[in-house]
Amino acid sequence: MPDRDTSGNQLTEDLTVSTVSELDLIEDKYSGRKPLGLWADTWRRLKRNHLAVVGLCIIVVFLAVGMTQEIANLVGLNTGEPGTGYLAPYPPNAVNYELSPKGLGSPPSWSHLFGTDYLGRDVFSRTLVATRISMLVGVIAVSIALIIGLILGPISGYYGGAVDSVIMRTADVFFAFPYILFVLLIMTVLGPGLWNVFIAIGILSWASYARLNRGSVLSVKAMEYVEAARAQGASDLRIIFRHVLPNTMAPIYVAIAMGIGGAIVTEAALSFLGIGIQPPDASWGKMIADYLTYLQAGSWWMVTFPSIALTVTVFAFISFGNGLRDATDPKLKE
Amino acid sequence: MLSYIVRRLFQLVIVLIGVTLITFLIMFAIPGDPARQLAGKSATPERIATISEQLGLDRPLHVQYYRYLGRLLRGDLGESYALQQPVTELIRENAPNTIQLALAAVLIELLGIPLGIYSALRQYTFWDTTLTTTALIIWGIPVFVLGVFVQWFFGLKLQEWTGYDMFQLTGAGDNILWIVPADWGSWSTLILPAVTLGLISVAYISYMQRASMLEVIRSDYIRTARAKGLSERAVVSKHAFKNAIIPVMTIAGIDLGALMGGAILTETVFSRPGIGLMIYQAIGARDLPVVAGGVLFATIIYVFANLFVDLGYAFVDPRIRLEG
Repeated sequence: MPDRDTSGNQLTEDLTVSTVSELDLIEDKYSGRKPLGLWADTWRRLKRNHLAVVGLCIIVVFLAVGMTQEIANLVGLNTGEPGTGYLAPYPPNAVNYELSPKGLGSPPSWSHLFGTDYLGRDVFSRTLVATRISMLVGVIAVSIALIIGLILGPISGYYGGAVDSVIMRTADVFFAFPYILFVLLIMTVLGPGLWNVFIAIGILSWASYARLNRGSVLSVKAMEYVEAARAQGASDLRIIFRHVLPNTMAPIYVAIAMGIGGAIVTEAALSFLGIGIQPPDASWGKMIADYLTYLQAGSWWMVTFPSIALTVTVFAFISFGNGLRDATDPKLKE
Repeated sequence: MLSYIVRRLFQLVIVLIGVTLITFLIMFAIPGDPARQLAGKSATPERIATISEQLGLDRPLHVQYYRYLGRLLRGDLGESYALQQPVTELIRENAPNTIQLALAAVLIELLGIPLGIYSALRQYTFWDTTLTTTALIIWGIPVFVLGVFVQWFFGLKLQEWTGYDMFQLTGAGDNILWIVPADWGSWSTLILPAVTLGLISVAYISYMQRASMLEVIRSDYIRTARAKGLSERAVVSKHAFKNAIIPVMTIAGIDLGALMGGAILTETVFSRPGIGLMIYQAIGARDLPVVAGGVLFATIIYVFANLFVDLGYAFVDPRIRLEG
């Protein structure tokens, strides 16, 4: 068996291999290593990127915290009050003026880790409950965008021609608006509220998934296995969603990670501007807007903790997304 | 090149039609009755009917759109519900401040290029790791959060500690030549918002520049340049730099959209007059013509900025203009 010497490297570079798994086979053949599946291999390379792993851990923790209520409902532990969140030590909307002398809240202490706000509400509990809103927005808004994008993208790429032109020119139009401004415009019409945030972010972000997927579909549809499926008499729908789509998903996973981070920031920005989540529900963006003036009065804890939670979450999705991109990019393989 | 320009201009026309159509539909088709909104709460049904006829709201939708386009071409964006003032006039008042802020942020953003190149050339060293990690963290900070803390630190704490009032925190100063600040006071209203808006893009650009540079310096022609004995400086500045910077310039073009969105939030945090603050206040008053007009204005600037970036890109990189 030849070593990974000059000739071995030469071989991998000269062959114009187009998919990750093919590259894998060649690399593994010469390194004498057992061939790994696409995901095992991606994981192996992702593990080396410490920032991405940190990001992934943060995502898992925040998702678990945000979805505690849903998880508890699922396993039949639903005993607490609805909407409170099971981890929050205090009811997040319980006003207690004794804890807010002079209306400036009270600084962090052992009983109130993040302090209390100007109404004496526990900032830790509010930050925790707001995690749920952020995760919901990230997951649901991106799901809406994905469903639209992953129907239109493959159709556009697979059929080509007029269908392709109409879908892609529509995508161009959606790309032409500066994103957050477009969301603001839609929210002005729809009015504030959690569901409107899902809808506005969802229907405005489909274009990037559609465009991304169309590109991959174009390259995959020319492959022999697609031809084989067609020769066997598979319908277009079956070919698109059964044979083509599953093989074009790697870049989409990266886009999902980045997209969830983006949706969370967008919701925070909308709530910050006052047209996102409405009181008394806690949202990180809304908390930052509400507590802004108290920062100047010296009550630093109110605005600091939701800001940190928001930044850490967005950082986690970005660094995990970037890590995933590097790990699935065949060009960056060493 | 010519055929590329023609193709790109054709695409521009389609995009402009789509953008105006969407704005039109949002303005006239979806929300209640614009005539009622314009006439005010205490208007009689006759008054509403008159306004509706004046605006042509009783006509079929496509005729309305056609007329709307005609008004747009004459620079008529309608009238504000809340301020009873033409939207075009409001935009004319506010645009210079926003353009000034965006340009300053772009200039700051360019700092990301040398940082990214430095990181790439020192891959996996202490400084590379530090810069990349810092870039990722800053990239994760929402612009309004950064704005809140920048304002608090530089505006309040620094002044408290030094006893010297350096920055004027809110408002915008006087300008000469439309967008150049006239004096220190005017500069000081610009610096903090511009740094806030620019810093996040610096992080983003430096991260992208690092990736692009890493890809280039691993390519064969760089190996050739090194093999023929060129100095490292010549390899980097003559061979690698030009190719590594091209993709980043397109990213910077696309990032302009984020910058305009960021300008809204930055202007709101700093209470700095501009298109952003105008839109923010209009949202509060549910003043749809102003929101839609402001968004349309920003979108058209963004569309043309991207056109110029694309044409510039095609000019320096023949692969783009020859592609189908």
